[in-house]
Amino acid sequence: MRYGSKEAENVVTTAISPAQASSDTAGIALRISNLSKSFGGLQAIQDITLDLHTGIITSLVGPNGAGKTTLFNTITGHIKPDTGTVQFEGRSLVGLPPWKIARMGVMRTFQDLRLFMHMSVEDNVLAAMEPRSWFWQPAGRQANNARRERTAAILKETGLSAKSGSLAGSLSYAERKFLSLARIMATDARLWLLDEPAAGLDPPSYELFQDLLRNQVQRGISVCIIEHNLDIITAISDRIAFLDQGRVIAEGEPSKILEDPKLIEIYFGGGQA
Amino acid sequence: MVLLQLLVNGIQTGTIYALTAIGFALIFGSTRIFHFAHGAIFVIAAYVFKFVIGDLSLHWGIASIAAVSAAVLAGLLVNFLIYVPIQRHEGSYFTVFVASFGVVIVVQNAIAMIFGRGFVAIETSLSNAVEVFSGLFMAPLFGIVIACSAIVLTGLHLILTRTHFGIALRALSQNPELVRTFGLSTRRLSAYAFVLGSALVVPAAIFTGATSGLNPSIGLHIMLISLVATIAGGIGSIWGAACIALAIGVAENLVLWQLDTQWSEAVAFAFLLVFLIFRPAGLFRLASTH
Amino acid sequence: MSVYLLNIGVFICIYGILALTLNVLIGYAGVFTLAHAAFFGIGAYVATFVAMNFSASLVIVLIASVLTAGILSLIIALPALRVRDEYFVVISLAIQILCVTVFSEWRSFTGGLGGIVNIPLPELFFGTISTPMEFFLLALGCMAVITVIIGLIVRGSFGRSLMAVRDNESAALALGKNVARIKTLAAALSSGLAAVAGVVYAYYLSFINVQSFTLDTSVLVMAMVIIGGTGTMFGPIVGAALLTMLPNALSYVPFLPPTEIGSIQQILYGLAMILMMIFRPGGIVGRSRSKRDEK
Repeated sequence: MRYGSKEAENVVTTAISPAQASSDTAGIALRISNLSKSFGGLQAIQDITLDLHTGIITSLVGPNGAGKTTLFNTITGHIKPDTGTVQFEGRSLVGLPPWKIARMGVMRTFQDLRLFMHMSVEDNVLAAMEPRSWFWQPAGRQANNARRERTAAILKETGLSAKSGSLAGSLSYAERKFLSLARIMATDARLWLLDEPAAGLDPPSYELFQDLLRNQVQRGISVCIIEHNLDIITAISDRIAFLDQGRVIAEGEPSKILEDPKLIEIYFGGGQA
Repeated sequence: MVLLQLLVNGIQTGTIYALTAIGFALIFGSTRIFHFAHGAIFVIAAYVFKFVIGDLSLHWGIASIAAVSAAVLAGLLVNFLIYVPIQRHEGSYFTVFVASFGVVIVVQNAIAMIFGRGFVAIETSLSNAVEVFSGLFMAPLFGIVIACSAIVLTGLHLILTRTHFGIALRALSQNPELVRTFGLSTRRLSAYAFVLGSALVVPAAIFTGATSGLNPSIGLHIMLISLVATIAGGIGSIWGAACIALAIGVAENLVLWQLDTQWSEAVAFAFLLVFLIFRPAGLFRLASTH
Repeated sequence: MSVYLLNIGVFICIYGILALTLNVLIGYAGVFTLAHAAFFGIGAYVATFVAMNFSASLVIVLIASVLTAGILSLIIALPALRVRDEYFVVISLAIQILCVTVFSEWRSFTGGLGGIVNIPLPELFFGTISTPMEFFLLALGCMAVITVIIGLIVRGSFGRSLMAVRDNESAALALGKNVARIKTLAAALSSGLAAVAGVVYAYYLSFINVQSFTLDTSVLVMAMVIIGGTGTMFGPIVGAALLTMLPNALSYVPFLPPTEIGSIQQILYGLAMILMMIFRPGGIVGRSRSKRDEK
């Protein structure tokens, strides 16, 4: 799937420079303190203390098996941590069920996407947009129509308008990645945890992806993304946290981290499980 | 000593249940297929044995071989004609389960049409009970059941822990990728799981025929017990399944001390409900990569 | 119209209601249950109890039956739906068998194994329903109303919630869906409306006993849903019609011994279930196996 630069232009407004989102002035969206989790003797994450700042993109990098996805799972409530706290906008998340945490404003995408395969693209997005788990949504027909319009807008932004009625299972790889993004865009989450959202995309799709992300951040969304692709990391990160063997071993400005020879060696050489 | 008699009966019933349950636990544990048709295999084995030894009046050895052959053949047919095609295109547990259930219905009714719906028993002098001491009756069959299950369980344990085949089978459920990297065919291993699991059902089928008798719908009843035992015992744990099945058998009989026979079936499910609500992972939980 | 045809029509509608409501769970929520016949029975027994002891008014009886079945389903579903899907099948089996035991033993309420006879005719504000045509219209009306109710709910946001839970539960959770509540509501809706079938059944036959509410019936309704197709609204009705007419159709086949028709019938739909799952999991009305291309 190819995106012409014209579409990209429609989506991009003004880019934020990392300096503007400096940690000194922005607030803390998510505060993680001393978080640990082990699985039957295997320490997946250990004593992680990390702040995710509001309104910027933080990248989580590190070799395979470093504990990045486990960290996500712990934040979102899919896994219960052994010790430590997680605070979102001042409220503690530990112990709450995943759906409650999601409703509070922390949502995630999955590395394996987990789309609703037998539902249409439009329904995938609508389902994400509808908050209540009762028979009917609040605010009746008007709200319904507003949601459909917003769904159409999101599908346009992610380039999926043409596939609106198709089943999610019939989409190409790139289209599925964007649908996963469209779903989270449909929610009112203020903190996004994206697990390898751009893996395997071709360069034009990267462009659209980056622009989409920047757009959301401009609207006030905080993003934390697990990513392996250095091009993407250098292009979009405002801050980087480096994980290895379950610990945060470095955190800060991208320029500092990406040029540190020790870290480069760990990333490319050292910790292979 | 009614209670003691009930306990002894319960141990016999429970041991037979355990023999059936381990077959299902093995298949489900290694292939993750919800092989509800296991009950149908049981019925086939039982009626083949009864037919050969009763109607054809042949030696029990020949009848046993016939029963094992029939069971293994049926198990493989179900696997290759039904499960494999389904798994090729969709393979959600639901689709497999429904097809498996269909097999049970077909077999149950086919057997009813051929052999009739009433209870039939395998006649043998071994089931004649002798008063061992005041109030307690036991038949030689009891000893045979216990001895046989001890042999089967030990044999199975040795196969699963000491042979390459057994270890591969256990690895299949935890980590199919690992099995493939060792150059083993997952499909062939699954087939072997069906062979072993189906063969395991035969002793239990024969004993049931000799003790409580057979009727076409017994497959369903046996299946429920095996399901409950496998789930409450913990997926992947054959010992867990055997223990729970034994407990269900004992409880079913002890319950008769106070309640009518109608409630004994409910006992198995009371077990299940209690376990699932309080210990959803089962008795012996095996860590698995999900 | 011939009484014979009207009779078949009533049963098609009764089983149509059962199949439609079961489809809410199996087809839309992805929850596989074998306990549907139990709620059919609960509806019938409550209807009988109310009609014979309080009032034979159709409205009152319907309300009582639907509420009882719905509330009981809620109570059972709340803890039971917490477990994994495969386990839930077995729990539903347990519930079905326990209910049958209760139906057989609670003689004062259910008449035990013998059942209850002389159930009065249903009363509406304009009179009683007594002729076959009137019963057919009643059954048809109930099925139509239930189709509309389920259609509205399933096409709206709740339907999307159900399908999301069916397709990927962990993703639904991560997007803020209260999966437990969604499943429980679906169960209450499904079981509550299934009771309507029980009401019509009890009134129509004037006699009920436990034999109609056993696991065999659950399996029959499940076969209807699967053969007709789970993904659509009309699939279950088609399945219900087919399987209800099957015994009648079979009685016309010359060389079949009449005593074995029951078995032959079951063999046929057992085979149909197997073949459906292999070749056309979407059922007769649903999509064919082109799903393979979507992987």
